[in-house]
Amino acid sequence: MKRLSLLAVAMLVFASSAAAADWKVSVDDRYDSLYAQLKDNNSYQAHLAREFASVAVEEKMQHDIGVAKAFMDKAEEHAAQAGSMK
Amino acid sequence: MKRIFLLAACTAMTACTGHIASTQISELDEARAMIQQAKDAGAEKCAPALQAKAVVKMYHAAHEITDEVGSHPDENAELLADALATAKKAYVKAKKGCAKPVLEVIRLEGVFFETNSAKLTVASMAVLDNAVKTLQKRADINVEVAAHTDSKGKAAYNLGLSNRRATSVMNYFLGHGIKAARLTSQGYGETQPRADNSTVEGRAKNRRVSLRVK
Repeated sequence: MKRLSLLAVAMLVFASSAAAADWKVSVDDRYDSLYAQLKDNNSYQAHLAREFASVAVEEKMQHDIGVAKAFMDKAEEHAAQAGSMK
Repeated sequence: MKRIFLLAACTAMTACTGHIASTQISELDEARAMIQQAKDAGAEKCAPALQAKAVVKMYHAAHEITDEVGSHPDENAELLADALATAKKAYVKAKKGCAKPVLEVIRLEGVFFETNSAKLTVASMAVLDNAVKTLQKRADINVEVAAHTDSKGKAAYNLGLSNRRATSVMNYFLGHGIKAARLTSQGYGETQPRADNSTVEGRAKNRRVSLRVK
């Protein structure tokens, strides 16, 4: 039983720290990629994408990884729409 | 213990999930209405950066307001006020930027002058009499009499000729009771052709007078 509880605690720690580390990189990378993709694009959709991406980074800094991901998803949706509006 | 294990497993699986809160909450009514007003005024086209900022601030505010963890009423109020203020700015900018006045031009077809002169032909006066009636009916408009030439001859000469012709038409209106305060005149020479100057027909179209409503 002790082993089981140890395993459970280990999983909890891993789930939060590993996932957080993973998303820290991921959100940053996605942010950089999105900014490069939208360079010189001043359409409404491009502005929306950049604004959502900024909030995503802000949320990531506050360790709200799930929300950061959701905002980044939204940013990328708008970036995709902005692609054809440049 | 099984419960702890279950909790750990669930946490591991759901650590990466998240969602954006709905903006359909009463706290955002004012900001949402202002964003819609700005959109209707053309903000997405005329003030895209501001409008996008306002929209995302609203989403951010919605998230913070509905976030059950670590609620900060002061910060939420600030986010709300920010979203509303940005939407107002987008609206004001859109109103200024999108509502450009459409310039109305009244073409005076059939107004001619003697060759190389600003003297109106007799036939032209009938056309100008109709224009006088229009100006009398539409007493709320001011107009610029704009005269144009074709490109034959020197540009400077054409500019001077068009200025004299515009003045000649304006004087006709003044002589028929139109107030001076409503009239200005401007010659444009050959600078604004409407047709091809290499053909007789094109040059005839380019020699013209019109009224630009201000």
